[in-house]
Amino acid sequence: MSEQGEKLGAKEERKWPTKTEFTPEMLEEMEKLLPGTLNRVVAASLSGCIHCGMCSDACHYSVSIPEDKTLVPAYKADRFRKWYKSRYDWLAQVFPSFVGAKKLDKELADEMYDKLWGGCTMCRRCTFNCPMGVDYGMMVRAARGIMQKVGRVPQHLQDTVDTHYNAGNNMAVPQDEFVETIEWIEEELQDEEGCENFKIPVDKKGAQYFLTLNPREPKYYPLTIQATAKVLNAAGVDFTISSRYWDLTNYALFNGNDPDAKQFALWQAEDVKRLECEYLLAGECGHGYRALRWELPNWVGGVPFKITSVMELMAKLILDGRIKTDKSVWDGHRATYHDSCNIARSGGITEEPRIVIRSAIEDFVEMEHNRENSFCCGGGGGALAMPEFTPRRIAAGKIKADEIKATGADICLQSCHNCTDQLKEIIEHYHVNAKVMNLAELLAPTLVL
Amino acid sequence: MENNVSHALYILQEPVQYMALSFMALMYIIKIRQMLKKPIPPEKAELKGDRVAGALESLTNVLKPWSMESTRKNPFFYAEFLIFHIAVALTIGATFFIPLVPFLMTPAVSKVFMLFMGLAFLIGLRRIYRRLTVPEIKIISSPDDYFAISLMTVFFAVGFVAMWMWIDGSPDTGWMWIFFLLTTFFLLYVPFSKISHYILYPFGRVNHGRTFGGRGVTNRNVKNPTWNPK
Repeated sequence: MSEQGEKLGAKEERKWPTKTEFTPEMLEEMEKLLPGTLNRVVAASLSGCIHCGMCSDACHYSVSIPEDKTLVPAYKADRFRKWYKSRYDWLAQVFPSFVGAKKLDKELADEMYDKLWGGCTMCRRCTFNCPMGVDYGMMVRAARGIMQKVGRVPQHLQDTVDTHYNAGNNMAVPQDEFVETIEWIEEELQDEEGCENFKIPVDKKGAQYFLTLNPREPKYYPLTIQATAKVLNAAGVDFTISSRYWDLTNYALFNGNDPDAKQFALWQAEDVKRLECEYLLAGECGHGYRALRWELPNWVGGVPFKITSVMELMAKLILDGRIKTDKSVWDGHRATYHDSCNIARSGGITEEPRIVIRSAIEDFVEMEHNRENSFCCGGGGGALAMPEFTPRRIAAGKIKADEIKATGADICLQSCHNCTDQLKEIIEHYHVNAKVMNLAELLAPTLVL
Repeated sequence: MENNVSHALYILQEPVQYMALSFMALMYIIKIRQMLKKPIPPEKAELKGDRVAGALESLTNVLKPWSMESTRKNPFFYAEFLIFHIAVALTIGATFFIPLVPFLMTPAVSKVFMLFMGLAFLIGLRRIYRRLTVPEIKIISSPDDYFAISLMTVFFAVGFVAMWMWIDGSPDTGWMWIFFLLTTFFLLYVPFSKISHYILYPFGRVNHGRTFGGRGVTNRNVKNPTWNPK
């Protein structure tokens, strides 16, 4: 171990060669990559659109920015579909323009870049409103993967993936700094009344739960870790945090690079096995939950442990009577809950957060669109890591800001750090009077210890 | 009803149709085979729901306008869709019933067919107008989209008049000729057109149902949490 702790991440450092423009060589390479991305879901999604337009009301981009018709999901997906048709549609081989097919050229590739990186968060709300079952999330990820492989990927997003690859977590938090942060948070927790004996175990072998974190927590939101640890301690949960692969994020889910996604998943899976934990426990993070719960087993070919989330565990602890709460702590406040797309629509967690919320606060109001019908806040799909599209991201958040405002809530709850940052930005931008909090932060102060 | 047709119309109604139908079937077999050869993404995660139930639920989605916000909020659009597709089935059905089981095409039955064909014709006109005038639909429309809906609309109109003649006891009219010529063209053209979307529908819906059914997002029949507490 060095001064900064063990070298984590890949043995050899890497900087992905990104490009600022598509070149003929890149387009040629993309042509070679296309067939390999066409699994049955992607192929059916590329072939299946009937241009009925039912998706136009389903997308937060097209709803929030109605003046720009090029943000309709079918139009955005057609940037990829035109290329696909030029290769695989029978009629397109004779009459390409008749079926809307187009050979991949720089103009089409530029449109793909603009619409599929900067105009879609892969939230799958359109998927749930498509009569044909077109999976826009999978299709857009496939297109992104092709563009990323030839280097045409938003720089900051790729930097995030590269950092994860090189350092083992996406903010390059050194191991010793991370452990020190956890020790400091533990001390802070122990200073709270009734929490004197609470612990945040690091690298405890045989703990039941292997708690994972979003790197923003040790960096910027340590109180979230403190709140989560308080809930787990209060319920007597046997958990640990790893000093190695504690980062549950996987931005390769967003940039479409499967080998990287698999690598990050493998590191984490190996670490869970190292500590002999029964459960891999995802912290409050939308894409992180999905990446661990639903994608990791596929990327690594199955795992010998179970995978769950803090949202589900907290709900279980409440239902099992292992924690007692005093709702009066939040008297005078009204809360609403934003369902992260990757947790609800792509993850199946819709009722558990509500169990937690109803146990902690009396006045809870649903937004007009909730659960799997919730609109994306605009911060998904890696959008926060693409500063070149920031104005569009903020504009696309209007529908969510309007819905939060309509509830009259002064607390907007969520379980995702990308959502946290986006919600904070749109709440400020659209002058909504609400504070953004996650579930553990709501629950922890209400605990009767 | 005793409607006799000329030998020439008989050839168009039967041998030519069978050949066109066989061609269509062959194209569909190739199309389905191509799709089946694509790998299915693996699912090794511990499931929260039932992938088979999810797929079945998703396949019947077409009959449940309440299951999607897009149809829930647009009941008129859904009703149009339903009538249009019933009319498609009846119109294609008519091209089989007329030559093969003409005795089933009684005036009452024929009038039901006509009703749907007439309504579908009007819906077709409205859909063409919508495609031409609604900006978000116009921007996603290709010539194939316009041609497909126009072809269907004309098909319904011709079918409507042909059925009228049929009820009137005049089966061997120019309208019936056009109706069956259109049917022949239809059978040859559809495998290459977006109209063949019904072949892809099961793939899309099953993919959707397996994914989200397995994850406990759809076909959830309990309000309780979807995990299984130890």
